[in-house]
Amino acid sequence: MGTGLEMEPLLQAWSYFRRRKFEHCSQACSRILEKEPCDQEPGSEHLTQAAWSLKTRALTEMVYVDEIEVDQEGIAEMLLDENSIAQVARPGTSLKLTTAKKFDGPSPAVRPVTQSGRPITGFVRPSTQSGRPGTMEQAIKTPRTANTARPITSASGRSVRLGTASMLTHPGGAFINLSRLNLAKYAVRPQLAKTLFEYIFHHENDVKNALDLAALATEHAQFKDWWWKVQLGKCYYRLGLYREAEKQFKSALTHQDMVDIFLYMGKVYIRMDQPLTALGLFKQGLDRFPKEVSVLCAVARIHEEMNDMKSASEYYKEVLKQDSSNVEAIACIGSNHFYTDQPEIALRFYRRLLQMGVYNCQLFNNLGLCCFYAQQYDMILTSFERALSLAENEYEAAEVWYNLGHVAVGIGDLTLAYQCFKLTLANNNDHAEAYNNLAVLEMRKNHVEQARALLQTAAALAPHMYEPHFNFASLSDKIGDLQSSYIAAQKSETAFPDHVESQRLIQELRQHFATI
Amino acid sequence: MSLFKARDWWSTTLGENEEFDQGCLCVADVDNSGTGHDKIIVGSYSGFLRIVSPHPPKASEGGQVEDLLLEVQLRDPVLQVEVGKFVSGTELLHLAILHPRKLCVYSISGTLGNVEHGNQYQIKLMYEHNLQKSACNMTYGPFGGVKGRDLICIQSMDGMLMFFEQESYAFGRYLPGFLLPGPLSYSSRTDSFVTVSSCRQVESYKYQVLAVATDADTRKETEQQKIASGKKLVADWILNIGEQALDIRVVTFNQTSFSVFVLGERNFFCLKENGQIRFMKKLDYNPSGFLPYGSVSEGTINTLVGNHNNMLLVYQDVTLRWAAQLPHIPVAVKVANFQDLKGVIVTLSDSGQLQCSYFGTDPSLFQAPKVESRDVNYEELDVEMKELQRIIKEASKSQDMLLKLDKEDDLTLAASVSTDLDSESQAFESEVECEIIPSVTVKFCIRSRLNVKKTVLSINVPFPLAVTQDHFIFDSLDPGIKKTANVSVFLKGNCPPADIEGSAVISYCTPTELNPEGVPRVVQCKFQLPLKLVCFPVQPSKAANHKLTIDTNKPPVNLGNLFPDFVNQVEDDNVNVLGLQLLAGRKVTLLASKTSQRYRIQSEQFEDLWLITRELILRFEEYFQKQGIKDFTCSFSGPMPLQEYFEIIEQHFQLRFNVEKYDSLLSERAVQFRAIQRLLLTRFKDKTPAPLQNLDTLLDGTYRQVIGLADAAEEGQQNLSRGFTRLKSATHLFVMLIGLRQKLSKDQMAILEGTFLPLFQDGQELGWEESVDAAVSHLLRTCLSKSSKEQALNLNSQLNIPKDTSRLKKHITLLCDRLAKGGRLSLSADAGGQQAMLMPGVNEQADEEDRQERNDQNQQ
Repeated sequence: MGTGLEMEPLLQAWSYFRRRKFEHCSQACSRILEKEPCDQEPGSEHLTQAAWSLKTRALTEMVYVDEIEVDQEGIAEMLLDENSIAQVARPGTSLKLTTAKKFDGPSPAVRPVTQSGRPITGFVRPSTQSGRPGTMEQAIKTPRTANTARPITSASGRSVRLGTASMLTHPGGAFINLSRLNLAKYAVRPQLAKTLFEYIFHHENDVKNALDLAALATEHAQFKDWWWKVQLGKCYYRLGLYREAEKQFKSALTHQDMVDIFLYMGKVYIRMDQPLTALGLFKQGLDRFPKEVSVLCAVARIHEEMNDMKSASEYYKEVLKQDSSNVEAIACIGSNHFYTDQPEIALRFYRRLLQMGVYNCQLFNNLGLCCFYAQQYDMILTSFERALSLAENEYEAAEVWYNLGHVAVGIGDLTLAYQCFKLTLANNNDHAEAYNNLAVLEMRKNHVEQARALLQTAAALAPHMYEPHFNFASLSDKIGDLQSSYIAAQKSETAFPDHVESQRLIQELRQHFATI
Repeated sequence: MSLFKARDWWSTTLGENEEFDQGCLCVADVDNSGTGHDKIIVGSYSGFLRIVSPHPPKASEGGQVEDLLLEVQLRDPVLQVEVGKFVSGTELLHLAILHPRKLCVYSISGTLGNVEHGNQYQIKLMYEHNLQKSACNMTYGPFGGVKGRDLICIQSMDGMLMFFEQESYAFGRYLPGFLLPGPLSYSSRTDSFVTVSSCRQVESYKYQVLAVATDADTRKETEQQKIASGKKLVADWILNIGEQALDIRVVTFNQTSFSVFVLGERNFFCLKENGQIRFMKKLDYNPSGFLPYGSVSEGTINTLVGNHNNMLLVYQDVTLRWAAQLPHIPVAVKVANFQDLKGVIVTLSDSGQLQCSYFGTDPSLFQAPKVESRDVNYEELDVEMKELQRIIKEASKSQDMLLKLDKEDDLTLAASVSTDLDSESQAFESEVECEIIPSVTVKFCIRSRLNVKKTVLSINVPFPLAVTQDHFIFDSLDPGIKKTANVSVFLKGNCPPADIEGSAVISYCTPTELNPEGVPRVVQCKFQLPLKLVCFPVQPSKAANHKLTIDTNKPPVNLGNLFPDFVNQVEDDNVNVLGLQLLAGRKVTLLASKTSQRYRIQSEQFEDLWLITRELILRFEEYFQKQGIKDFTCSFSGPMPLQEYFEIIEQHFQLRFNVEKYDSLLSERAVQFRAIQRLLLTRFKDKTPAPLQNLDTLLDGTYRQVIGLADAAEEGQQNLSRGFTRLKSATHLFVMLIGLRQKLSKDQMAILEGTFLPLFQDGQELGWEESVDAAVSHLLRTCLSKSSKEQALNLNSQLNIPKDTSRLKKHITLLCDRLAKGGRLSLSADAGGQQAMLMPGVNEQADEEDRQERNDQNQQ
């Protein structure tokens, strides 16, 4: 942007920063720093410091991700987690055991569940991606389909990659050489230290150095600055020291109530698998900051993860009262309505999303399904057509074909259904549901061996689904392979304890065995 | 994401390539017209000052010209424009303009013309101050509670607050701990200045504290001596908000509510008089500017927040009331009253788009792009559909959805093995302990008819053979041009191979107009490697443990004619003994009977017989074909070498068992290792350091054990793969002997081979023993069954590593017996009961899937 008049360079950089033109800002600061490399003149010291600080901030802002949103638990964290109080938690107090308790809301017969036994949510968040395998062996052996790739080995892995990527863009090496930094010197100057800390933490992802700096700085602030305590907590959290993190956040709360502190602390409790404590804390947060959307969302998410759909949608509704354009809340309420047999209402929510400018494959896919179940047949195919044209990768296309297959089954066109499921598999070879449905179609054609093979594939890909197990059981029962039938039926029962047909089948088989 | 967009009432773009920032927009009745109608004053970093008075667009082309009241170019960039009572002796509004090194106050006056476009506006400089420091921003107000006039406070880039009492400079003061300037605002109620410092704190300074007991005038002198941190200045209150702020506004709408609004980078705060948080809101977007503008209901304040997603949001306290889409990112937001309209939102973007808008339920027009759709012609569609259905039907008849390839491949791949060994061996890193490891060159020729892309040639030879290069990448091939690749094959692993046939695969893509990526295709070819590669002639030896006798129906052949490449012809006319030394194997002796039509092959090791026997029979066939004799047959009449074969099976099984043992040991140690790690971690994490109790030594020891076990497991794997190669050799031999003995047809041989050699690779999860056992027992139950009772046995759906090999041995023996008794191998429908409804191909495919899926299961 060429201007006729010369601006004060620092002022220009400062203005760029305020308008979030970080690239420009960083360049402008570099020019200032080049021009006055060292503190030769007495007056220039302030200028160089200011430019240095501004550049640090600009570089940090470029890669900044809100730490609250970052949530990925690696295997290493899960395994070396000695924070869990009891191996087997009481029902309703843990996020880990979900199948053991009764489902409140739609059963898995209606609403599909994820690997860890939680109902599928309407909104993809980082934490919904990975399950929580109990042991290393289980973690490694979890079925690796394309979507649920193997768990991340360590939480810091992804962040490190982010950090290195940002470093590559600077040909002259990193802006700040951390190993040569005298942290103690900076810790006594809060105006520089805070900026530097954010740089180390977010840009360099060097948690250890960040922790050192924060520890020195909080000491210098005589343990009175809540901000440093929160940063310490963030570092501890990244390092997996949840108890220490909790302590820091708690102490920070005594100085100053902040929304962020509540959210961070809630995150710690969730990671320590204490959802009830987290809920209590959030309640406290809501007392202090009534109607705060981010806290309400966090509460709703916990309820959802604990299978308490009623409370979850209650809270999501509360979110919408505060912020009627919250996409997450709309999507979650929509999917909840869909799975509780109210496709017309779900349709309204999804249409709202569409009006708001959400324009992706998933949304059209959902719209298509809602239309189908709400008997608005004119819109089904156009929705799916759009979904297909918007599909970004094969996996998304596979989902659309799968749903089209469902529609085809619904209208009784089994040939079309067969072809749709085949297309699903052509797009995504790990689609367990499609294998299962294909098997059912094969069963109808009396192709027993093929059906068995397909069901076994489905069961191997998704052991958490009860359908392939049950289908296999009933198929084996029909052809007289009672032993296999019994084994599969038992698997089905563990996947879905309240499944009446499985129970009945097991009972029949037991009677049968008894008579033999 | 918003449902609606802000309705455009009036908009324009100011200047070209000019920059604007937060302070550049001001709204006031600057020319003191007295009508109460606001004018928009905009300054730019390029030094332009514009005053605009928007009128609603008329029917014809807009009165844009008349709307622009004044445009002047000043000599310096304009950082901020403010309107207030800046001139002494009058309460009229004047315009203060902040330049980097200057503060100017102007009066704006207008003379009405006869017609509207005759109006004239003038700008007159009232006074100016040159600044010692580079300025950043300013605020104004009745500092110290003066009545009827506004004082100005300018913040400089290095943290000095400079106070101007209208025409005169009052004093300057450094802010403590200053680094970068933050927003600055004056609160008239508390008579204090609020700013956000670089320590990320909201700080409030009383005007009196700033003014009192200072040597502001001496400051200028002391400046040369540089006092960095400034005088001890005590803030009225400080609130740590932990982030930098974009803007601060002090709001007093009525007597009861007084608030300081701070727009941080991530949160939005409302503070009480004493600096406590009244409420805060976490923002999930990047704000660009804000304006608290009024309260509708008691006790609440409405705020306009603009963000970097081009949105304007209205909050009533923390509740989102409205969200509207804007055409630009608003860096400055104001509310103004115009002639016919009150409460118009004025927004300015950093590139100079000025817009006056109001809210409404105009949907934010998001036009979903059209899906590429054809005009539906139902007749054509029907025809196409029928055609497609037909193709699908055809394809599904042949079991899978793969396309039929054209008869002629677009690309041909030919492999030619050179007849002689390489004069200089190309072998490298071979484990064979031998002076010279022979190698042979294979030449690949690729010729393409079309333009193909992503061509990759991969060459595979069975273990323990290896090639010098197994991958060739030709990016794109032009039609008609021949490409060649040469590789050398040699023996790498320390055992004789089970097979000396290699294969090469070339994969390529044929781009078409519709599909520029191309359809992936493959072409395969196989090549026979010479026997010379793995053995060389030696002195024959008479004694051997394992002997095989092959009968033929033709008169004996001179071995010299059969193996010209191993026998020096000059030596002797009639060679009936030939000794061959297998590289990395034992010596094999070939004896031809002088009188009878028998040949004997003997060796110290059973499996080493295979390569030579196979070669012998192949060469027989070749030889007799050359002679024109068609009815040549070989046969084997001796007892089946079951015992020897079982021994090898047993060895292989033991090796597998070993590997498994090491694996389980390894995982056990790994668990132990992790447990110790966890214990140590707890120790180290503990605040009060506890003794390690030798846990570190234990960790060290376990680590060494793990590494040792891993090495052992690796070695076991190598042994196993060698064992498997030997087993493969033996199996090949065994199958061939059965074939020779029972005179099985080609089809039956294929079945038998499929039964005994189902795997290319031997794995821990799915091994040779269980798959062969399953296959053999399947044969026994179907085509070789004696009674229908045997057929009823059902399949074990899961294959596991067996406890021992006795069951397998029993089944193999049974298979041999049944075959000897005249059993016929077939997979056709008449044999099985249950298989009746399956087509032969289906069976295989199901097996395939079964196996695939078992693999999957076992991997978990």
